[in-house]
Amino acid sequence: MGERMEPAVRTANLWKIYPQEPRPVEAVRGVDLVVENGEFVAMAGPSGSGKTTVLNLLGGLTAPTEGTVRIGGQEITALSDRQLARVRLNRIGFVFQSYNLLPMLTARENAEFTLVLQGVPRRERRERVGKLFREIGLAGMEDRFPLKLSGGQQQRVAVARAVLGEPDLVLADEPTANLDSTTAEALLDVMDQLNRTRGTTFVFSTHDPRVMERAGRLIRLVDGRIEGESIRGGA
Amino acid sequence: MVRLRTLVWLALRNLGRELRRSALTAAAMAIGLALLILSRTLADGAHEDWIDAGVRLGAGHVTINAPGYRDSQSLDDRLSSAQLRASLAAVADSPTPDTPLASVRVTTRGLASSPEGALPAWILGVDPTVEPAFSRLGEEVVDGRYLENGDRLHAYIGVGMAERLGVRTGSRMVLTAQAASGDIEGQLVRVVGIYRTGVDALDQSLVHIPLGTARSWLGVEGATTVAVLLTHSSFTDAVVEEVRGGVDPAGAEVVGWPVTHPDLYSALKLDDGGDWAFHMILFAIVALAILNAVFMSVLHRQREMGLLRALGLSGRETGLVVFTEGVLLTMASGIVGVALGLAVVWIFFRDGLDLSGLWPQDFNLGGVAFDPVLHPVIEVKHVVQSVIMTAAIGLFASAYPAWQAGRLDPAESVKVE
Repeated sequence: MGERMEPAVRTANLWKIYPQEPRPVEAVRGVDLVVENGEFVAMAGPSGSGKTTVLNLLGGLTAPTEGTVRIGGQEITALSDRQLARVRLNRIGFVFQSYNLLPMLTARENAEFTLVLQGVPRRERRERVGKLFREIGLAGMEDRFPLKLSGGQQQRVAVARAVLGEPDLVLADEPTANLDSTTAEALLDVMDQLNRTRGTTFVFSTHDPRVMERAGRLIRLVDGRIEGESIRGGA
Repeated sequence: MVRLRTLVWLALRNLGRELRRSALTAAAMAIGLALLILSRTLADGAHEDWIDAGVRLGAGHVTINAPGYRDSQSLDDRLSSAQLRASLAAVADSPTPDTPLASVRVTTRGLASSPEGALPAWILGVDPTVEPAFSRLGEEVVDGRYLENGDRLHAYIGVGMAERLGVRTGSRMVLTAQAASGDIEGQLVRVVGIYRTGVDALDQSLVHIPLGTARSWLGVEGATTVAVLLTHSSFTDAVVEEVRGGVDPAGAEVVGWPVTHPDLYSALKLDDGGDWAFHMILFAIVALAILNAVFMSVLHRQREMGLLRALGLSGRETGLVVFTEGVLLTMASGIVGVALGLAVVWIFFRDGLDLSGLWPQDFNLGGVAFDPVLHPVIEVKHVVQSVIMTAAIGLFASAYPAWQAGRLDPAESVKVE
């Protein structure tokens, strides 16, 4: 009998409440979400709807007040800081809105950072980075520091870093928000291609209609709740 | 292993990226360490000078007396000829790189008088062939000369005594003291030289006469004291132990200079306390400088810290990156600080640091006139202590920011602009 494939993401009754004065802020309220492997999912909603908080909860960057998060079947909400770090390293890739490259490292070093932490030999790292950089139009930029790269180039390096470790899941927090239209399209092409060719699961938070159009599924968040979702014609 | 190498690599990159800040922080530590080394070597040099000056004018680094002599100061409590020979043999066997210099003395309290008056006198019968290498008194001559081999009825006196008694080089004066027989005996002597130590108590009372003269005048065969001069005060305890093992404890008592020069010992302890207080203040300033620099660096890089967490480093590992930066800074500062400190010490090796403009003339403490020119002495133990303390402070000052970095909320940190 074949082993049943666990979804990339499964949350149950996920709550995140920030204890603030005069009253606590309920950023995420009872979110139940399942993302299957290889999906290209976008979460949309107005500012303050809880998109980023949901992504942080899925990535184990913040702990839920209540509820559970499973990544590839592994419950991560009860893990120690060290165990969570290992999950993030081996199973999750992040792309943030504001590029977030390590400024003291070159483009290549940024891209291969997770591979270094995973203990991948230098030669293999160089090969994988070189191949991906050629695919996403970064060939020749390997030795540039982030300050010498345009916004679009920096974000492509960030995407490369997120996928090079071959994670089950990439969480992208408004990755096109700071990019011009052409660059945003190019970046989405890269992620689209990675999703199709490598089967990497992507979960976006976004306001960007271009991202929503490409998403296979669009989830609408309002006031920390899932208000609805629609299957799209994208991936 | 991969992780550790990666953490060191990240720490080095971070230090390299903020080169100016890293250099300034390292410079604060290096200069602090260099100052500390200079201060310790000058203090060690000054202390050794003070001890040397004190024991040369007094009873040496190690003193051998008959039991009870230190309290009674009486000729009745003296070393016999046999005990004297045993004492000298034990000194010759001492575990020091150079053979210690032993000065055999007959010492008594008495009276020095001239037609113009009389003064209490501390009379030392000394061997003129040994004493010039032992005591600095011969170097303090202001008129005439020090005692020489062949001198018999001669005396070398201080400028205070000369003035009070109205005598000068060539004058005669009478020394009176109780002899070993118990009788009061007088001895006519001629002044061959006058000295000035800067310590009034000595200049007015200390008289050197030939050992043979003292023995015949006072009817003594052995000696009251064997004063032993060492090449360095640090050998004192070892020599005391060795000599004690070579003499009959019933006939001879062996003590070190802290016992025979308690005022000097206390003065040095007091000075040590002051030095430590100064060093602690210096350390506190250096520690705050490092703490501020590293902590500001962490706050400045809060987003990067959050990013490292998101990319797969644990809180502890993120803190370790910061701590490793502190370790590397401390190591670099330690090397530069020691080199800088020793270079500055080297400058003062030849001519010393002249503080005569800051000290009153003839300044003395604990009965010792201090040389206002400080000459540094490198005590390896103290240099190592300075390095260890600076390293400890560097690491301590890095630990708190590292701990804070490890506790940052990654979700909040990646949002920081």
